[in-house]
Amino acid sequence: MKKNFTRRGQNLSTLLGYLPGYLLVAPPVLLMLLLIFYPAAQSIVRTLFVANEGDGLRSFSLLRYTDFFNNRILLWNLWFTVWVTLLTVAGLFVLCMPLALYLRFSDSRIAAAVQVLSLFPLFVPGIILAFALIRFLGPHGTLDTLLQTIGFTSFRTPYLRPSGIIFALIWEGLPFTILVLTAGLRQVDNALIESARDVGAGDWQIFTRILLPLMQRSVLIAFCLNFIGVFGSYTIPYLLGPAAPQMMGVSMQQTYSEYQDKLGAETQAVITFLCCALIGVLYVRTVTRQRIGERN
Amino acid sequence: MTPSETAEEQATEATRPKQTSVNLTLRAWLRVLCRESFGLVALLLLIVGILGPISTVFLWAFTERWRYPSLLPTEWGIKYWAQTLSRADIGSALPLSIMLSLVVTGLSALICLPAAYAFARMRFPGRQLLLLSFLVTNAFPRFGLYVSIAIVFFRLDLVGTVPGVILIQLINTLLLMIWIPTSAFQGVDRALEEAALDVGASRLRVFVQITLPMVLPALGAALLLTFVSTFYEAQGALLIGLPNVRTMPVLMYSLINNQVIVQYGAVISLVLWLPSFLLLAFVQRFLRGNAVTAGLGV
Repeated sequence: MKKNFTRRGQNLSTLLGYLPGYLLVAPPVLLMLLLIFYPAAQSIVRTLFVANEGDGLRSFSLLRYTDFFNNRILLWNLWFTVWVTLLTVAGLFVLCMPLALYLRFSDSRIAAAVQVLSLFPLFVPGIILAFALIRFLGPHGTLDTLLQTIGFTSFRTPYLRPSGIIFALIWEGLPFTILVLTAGLRQVDNALIESARDVGAGDWQIFTRILLPLMQRSVLIAFCLNFIGVFGSYTIPYLLGPAAPQMMGVSMQQTYSEYQDKLGAETQAVITFLCCALIGVLYVRTVTRQRIGERN
Repeated sequence: MTPSETAEEQATEATRPKQTSVNLTLRAWLRVLCRESFGLVALLLLIVGILGPISTVFLWAFTERWRYPSLLPTEWGIKYWAQTLSRADIGSALPLSIMLSLVVTGLSALICLPAAYAFARMRFPGRQLLLLSFLVTNAFPRFGLYVSIAIVFFRLDLVGTVPGVILIQLINTLLLMIWIPTSAFQGVDRALEEAALDVGASRLRVFVQITLPMVLPALGAALLLTFVSTFYEAQGALLIGLPNVRTMPVLMYSLINNQVIVQYGAVISLVLWLPSFLLLAFVQRFLRGNAVTAGLGV
């Protein structure tokens, strides 16, 4: 009896020992639950349980979603968003992978300049970027006049075209992608590359057999965050993109503010959640696995 | 080195066919040129693609007139600076933006820094899981999440109010304000603290004099990053703040869409850029140290 009592006392004291930790982490955790999980969960529930016309009672229905998928314009917007996202992410990798490799293996002055320039967009907020690109890429913009002075006259402005969105989103994503990829490359030991070279591996083989597998995590994180970032973007597609089709961010904003259709906007929001859910899970899993691996 | 060894070396040098060594140097040079040529091409493209748009904004801000086929402004001047800065909407938006960013950064620090300390130093079940759960803030498509939040805020009458904007901007700061300080606190050498405790320092004194100085650079970077990113946050403020709360970035939307005079936007862009340049000066060293990417789980 006495033994049992002391054990319970010990349990209680360990629990009390945990209390300060829980109290300190509670505010941000609660804030996250209230501001992210609760609105998102509520949107999902509300779009699935639609109020009946007559009695106003809510019952399960996919009406919101069938409305969405029967609306040709919205469907077009969704496809457009997927395409812009995929092209932007592909463009980012095509540009950033060679740059990251170059920055990893060269320490010349040119490389230093390339690094500074490629990280510069980190300090240019999206709204200023949009303004700058309109003046740079737009009709009669700086690039237009620059090309005219060197005799190139068939310039078609990407402003208000999908290519304008993609250019701007790549511009925005460049520094982050390079940072993540070079961080991954830096974890690869030089000795490993040297020894592979000693046994006769070519550059391409070193890249595909050694570097790529070892930086897999960085590649995955860059892919996921860029994908979700572009999918959920608003400023750039709103200011630089065409009036139709729109990316989902623009479409949602218009449905919400201009058409005052809150449920419609909510349905579109949940559809973007679903489109990014898999990528989001992949991101969280990638980071989690590494963290737990580190701890062990 | 013994004489016999050098002799041997010379012998091997002599027996090696000369052409190969020439070939080798040539190849080495070509290799260097090849590598640098990539760098040069990349540099050129980046100068046009990155500095081009930026310099365009600078040029417009100091332009009085710029007729189309001219490569540079036809008339230079700073006339529009006074005009822009005396606009009533800017006079109210700029202080509001600064105030909001300060409040959000302060609140974020108040909420997150003690939590970061707990995550780094205290042991409790579920610690790792809770720390990782903040990644979820990155796993939602931003604008979709804002729409969801806007609908909740609408029912709470928070749309168009300053508290509403503060709350939505707080979300973006959580991950950064928890992860960077947590890794900073984890990096502090416990032995130093224990040594100070052993010689009789109080816990508070150890924290203030030993722990805090070591984490201060990382905390400073986290605060500055939070301040700047909040200052530039436009989408949440647009959705929640309008029509009553109009921050500088939100003002830019209407200036870009409805303003014929280009210089207004250019001048505001340069004014808005100031905090970013401060950040650039401060975090340059920090960026090399990978701490920013560490805040994203890389």
